[in-house]
Amino acid sequence: MRVNKFSFKKLIMHAILVIWCTSIGMLLYFVITSSFKTNKTVFKQLWSLPEKLNLASFANAWSNLDFGRYTFNSVFVVIISVALVIIISAPASYALTRMKMRFANPITFFYLAGMGIPVQLLFIPLFKIMAPLNLINSLSGLIVIYVTLSIPFTVFLLTGFFLSIPSELEDASYIDGCNEFQTFFKIMVPMATPGIVTAAIFNFIGLWNEYMLALIFITGKENKTLSLGLYSLYSSLQYTSDWVSIFAGSVLVIIPTMIIFIVLSEKLISGITLGAIK
Amino acid sequence: MKRRRYIAWIFLAPSLILYLYFFVYPTIEAVRISFYRWSGFTANMEFIGFENFSKLISDDSFLAALKNTLLLLIIGGICIFLLAFIFSLFLGSGIKGKKVYRTIIFFPFIIAPVVHAIYWGLLVYNPRTGMLNQFFKLLHIETLAKFTFTDIRHIFGSVLFVVSWSSVGFYLILLMAGIERIPPYLYEAARIEGATELQMFFNITLPLVKEVLVIAMIFWGINAIKMFDLLYAFGGILPPRSLWTNAIYLYIVGFGKRDPIFQLGYASAIGVVTLLLVVIIAFIIRKLIRREIYEY
Repeated sequence: MRVNKFSFKKLIMHAILVIWCTSIGMLLYFVITSSFKTNKTVFKQLWSLPEKLNLASFANAWSNLDFGRYTFNSVFVVIISVALVIIISAPASYALTRMKMRFANPITFFYLAGMGIPVQLLFIPLFKIMAPLNLINSLSGLIVIYVTLSIPFTVFLLTGFFLSIPSELEDASYIDGCNEFQTFFKIMVPMATPGIVTAAIFNFIGLWNEYMLALIFITGKENKTLSLGLYSLYSSLQYTSDWVSIFAGSVLVIIPTMIIFIVLSEKLISGITLGAIK
Repeated sequence: MKRRRYIAWIFLAPSLILYLYFFVYPTIEAVRISFYRWSGFTANMEFIGFENFSKLISDDSFLAALKNTLLLLIIGGICIFLLAFIFSLFLGSGIKGKKVYRTIIFFPFIIAPVVHAIYWGLLVYNPRTGMLNQFFKLLHIETLAKFTFTDIRHIFGSVLFVVSWSSVGFYLILLMAGIERIPPYLYEAARIEGATELQMFFNITLPLVKEVLVIAMIFWGINAIKMFDLLYAFGGILPPRSLWTNAIYLYIVGFGKRDPIFQLGYASAIGVVTLLLVVIIAFIIRKLIRREIYEY
């Protein structure tokens, strides 16, 4: 009796979880299959697989709708931004947690408080600051904004990681005559690699997917990022009704984050745990 | 070798300079601008004291946006944490395929919000092209088969579901991490005493996961209040007012959607109110869940 009741409960749980996960799988199925269909058939044969792999939508999105250009812009901006935010945040996090500096706690708090600032508050003053520096409608300008706005969360994650590293190795390194820079690069960076990888993945996903800041600070077509390009295409839909190109664009947007997810999801998930919960 | 403390400032300097100039300074500047009438980046600024703020109180659009922001925060938060707790109980029950389920539930988190908006907007909710109405027709549920999910009266509820559906995985992972740290012997002892699952949840899991829950809820609060990408894209060409939150209203007032509006002082005042909201929410969450940390 007890055994029966037990497995019945399990069955219900599995059923609910499977339904939930199916709804997630459906997003991938429909977006990907729709991108291979034609504008005539896409909604009429919503459930079926495309009859043949029609790549016209991708060709059209890539060259006529400039998604090739947008992809290049996104890759350029996001990779440089992620690299820069790590390069400046990792030493800062190390200094704040490990170097026994003065005011370390208030400065850490000062950085973390940035996570609570609603980004929208910064739109207008940032626009005002960036304009005289010629950083409006420029990819470098977007990089500056991406890097700066990513500092608080990155420092939040990395200080968590640096705190969890035992101090023996560091002490030994100083005793062996290494200076602060050698200790940081040769001992601490390798030890903190899981944290740095997590922070890099998080920033990559966040920046690759965002279009709000690009919408504000990129005013010309030639500098659009992929997400912004997709948003623009979608919001002009009622004039074009070029559905399949929208789905092709969507596939282009999700490919990089999906690859990262497939390869690194375990790292990402354990990273959230380690970084956010100290 | 003697450690030199000033070196730490060299490590700190690059991030601190960027942070001060492109983050802290604009924040202060935004607060200042909110006390001015300023209608365009080249126009002159005119000091008007609290006039922008008093205008906000009688601005119906702002009040609607504020209401939506709070709805998103509270209703969305309840949905997400309820679901996250239910899933964490399921996955913590020794069920098979725990890691696979967890990974899949987390998956929508990495999908671009604009893609969520396209998928749900075009392929699910849309009365002509979406599958949801067809699905309910198939089940012969007539009221839902004719229900327009993208109607301006229902669109906020529809997007609230998408927000919860796509965010629950992240909070599930945080909660599960907190729950997994609870030593198993507490549950064993409770089981020997004859405690039910529900009793164990309220008397062991919930109090011991408190610390993680506070972090997760503050995360949600911040994310909900500044959420923009999904909501804005969900509205298509011009998001209807029923979809506006503070974040969207600020953008529309400041930059306009199709034609620039440039009420920059007024928009900044919206931002300042939103910032106050974050502070209040963080304070309430801290107070509500008192920080009794249980040692175990």
